[in-house]
Amino acid sequence: MALSFKLMENVFLSSKCHRQNALHPFCGPLLTNCISKLYSSYRRPGTSPDNTPLWKMNFSFENGVDWIKKNFGLLKKELVDHVKGPEGRGFEEYFLEQTRVVWEFRSQKDLDEWVVSSDAEIGGKSEAYLKLGKNNQTALLFGTLSTEAPRDGETGYSGYCAIRAKLLKGAFDTKKYYDWSNFNSLYLRVRGDGRPWMINIYTDPYYSHQKDDLYTYFMFTRGGPYWQEITIPFSKFFLSSWGRIQDDQYPLWLDKISSVGFTLGDKADGPFQLEIDFIGLLNDRAHTEEFAYEKYERNPKA
Amino acid sequence: MNCVRKLLLARELSARPGVLRQLAPGLDLLRLQGSSCAQRFWPVPVRSHSKFTPAVKGDQEKDGESRDGSLVPLEELFDRACKGERNKAAFTRAVELFCQRDVRRRGHIEFIYAALQKMPQFGVERELDVYNKILDVFPKEVFVPRNFIQRMFNHYPRQQECGIHVLEQMENYGIMPDNQTKFLLLQIFGAKSHPVRKYQRLMYWFPKFKHVNPYPVPVPLPQEPIDLARISLQRIAADLSAKVTVYQMPLTDILDSGKEITQPHIVGIQSPDQQELLAHHNPDRPVFVEGPFPLWLKKTCVYYYVLRGELLPPGEKGEMLDSERNFYYPMHLDLDLDRGPWDDEEFDVDEAEEGPIFAMCMAGAGDQATLAKWILGLQQNNPILSQTPVVFHLAPGPRELLAASDSEPGEEEIPQSRRAQQEC
Repeated sequence: MALSFKLMENVFLSSKCHRQNALHPFCGPLLTNCISKLYSSYRRPGTSPDNTPLWKMNFSFENGVDWIKKNFGLLKKELVDHVKGPEGRGFEEYFLEQTRVVWEFRSQKDLDEWVVSSDAEIGGKSEAYLKLGKNNQTALLFGTLSTEAPRDGETGYSGYCAIRAKLLKGAFDTKKYYDWSNFNSLYLRVRGDGRPWMINIYTDPYYSHQKDDLYTYFMFTRGGPYWQEITIPFSKFFLSSWGRIQDDQYPLWLDKISSVGFTLGDKADGPFQLEIDFIGLLNDRAHTEEFAYEKYERNPKA
Repeated sequence: MNCVRKLLLARELSARPGVLRQLAPGLDLLRLQGSSCAQRFWPVPVRSHSKFTPAVKGDQEKDGESRDGSLVPLEELFDRACKGERNKAAFTRAVELFCQRDVRRRGHIEFIYAALQKMPQFGVERELDVYNKILDVFPKEVFVPRNFIQRMFNHYPRQQECGIHVLEQMENYGIMPDNQTKFLLLQIFGAKSHPVRKYQRLMYWFPKFKHVNPYPVPVPLPQEPIDLARISLQRIAADLSAKVTVYQMPLTDILDSGKEITQPHIVGIQSPDQQELLAHHNPDRPVFVEGPFPLWLKKTCVYYYVLRGELLPPGEKGEMLDSERNFYYPMHLDLDLDRGPWDDEEFDVDEAEEGPIFAMCMAGAGDQATLAKWILGLQQNNPILSQTPVVFHLAPGPRELLAASDSEPGEEEIPQSRRAQQEC
């Protein structure tokens, strides 16, 4: 499987959106079409930039009131949780836990936490859809992949589809991160159709230059009617950015994780499907590896 | 006129480093170029940035013969070299033709890009020696930086990009370069150039990820449907003790009356655990044949069918007692791996449950008659199937793994005993 295919992974640029909305922090969420700006600043070649001035955008009073209620509720919850313990869990649970279920798919509300994208954004012909499975017990990601590249003069390759968890937001749209420092492996219960997927973990970039870096690893599905339990230790994830694996590798830091995503880009045209039961974390005491790749400088200047 | 001659002389001097040494410092360069240089340069065409090169009259024409001056696209060069069949020999012949045409390899970048595009048409995109031959088109040692300024400023950027594109096509097809590639790249671009760096990255990461798939697909994939079915069924069974049985071989028969009958192949698999589950199944409840479900092996998609039972409500679930279970101490400890009875690796979630699966099969045709033959074949090892009603949930095309409850186009319930009587 090729390591580097040109993915448009910069779907989320929430930090940029916050900078844009710095002048009007309360106006941002009032705008009804802010969602597209929140997640992507990619503009298809040939389309004109969206420059509607602020006074032409739609403001809605009801949305504003709902927003205020929701955010003050979240703020109260946060303060109460801070007293209880880390992330609202008690100390006993925090210190003794060895497994944790982060995402399970039992209702439409769980599905709303994920965003599906495919190369239709850059003009390709793939489709991807996410729906609840039988008996509302699983999430089914299905669609068709097409490797026909869009003829816009700058795209070389195409044919991918991706699903990514939405960024965690606290009260008043503050950035929040997952803290997974108690664990050392990712546990997935999936049922695929034999296609190889890639798992991406997005961390908090301290500097904005690092906003596109993400940690990836492969998820090979066996196919078949039986459920597959995949455990991937976090030490196996390698650093990549814009679809290219980086020369200088660093281990994944688990204390500030912003989201997790799955990508399919195996250059095989045709339908695909992936069922996910739940995604959890596991602290495997038998796994002692810190990092699977060498950390020395790959191309020294001397 | 003088400035044009100076330009031409300058180009000559930059292309051939030895010329400067030949001219003694006292000689007047401008006087020299009067007779010899001008005569050498006028017939040479101006460097073009398009894909057009001067025509070659026949395949065996040498450079010494006169050119007719018409412009022929590079694609035609490939078409002319192939003489009908598009294969590796034709492709290498086209590359050699280009190399023989000009010692200085003018237009080599355009030619290399065109060659990279043409490779899938000739079927050579996975041949390493063809890539080495394409890299051979670059003139050697011209693009190697010779002093610190050239090293600083991305010497010959267009050629370096072209080299990177060749390596990127190799990377996309998953071909590992070899020593010949390394020596070629070092000779053409020098150490610490971008193509050599990319080569080093390929050689570092490819071996790391070559064996990372826990369910590898055999290469090359067998074309025979029975072998393919055997491999894929063993893959999805997830049980090493499962047995594959071929219930029917593919046949194309022509009867005496001239009618043609085709028999599709039927290959099934069942493991001892599945057999036991089926033996414990209540014959009053129906079993379902569902399908076809897709299974991808690299780039081929095959379809399989499943015989499964319903999910029983928790009250009616039969107790599968293990005769060796023990409440007082764990039967199996992994103390060597630092795992002990104090480890709790259970997840606090109700896993998605589905009915038990009794057997799986792959067949050439997805209609009920073929799958009924499979059930008949299964009956030999599982006698309970003769009394159990079998319901067929077949879709005309591939369907999702769990959309069974939504639409049931091909449903038919046929008690096995009645069907057996009809066949007799």
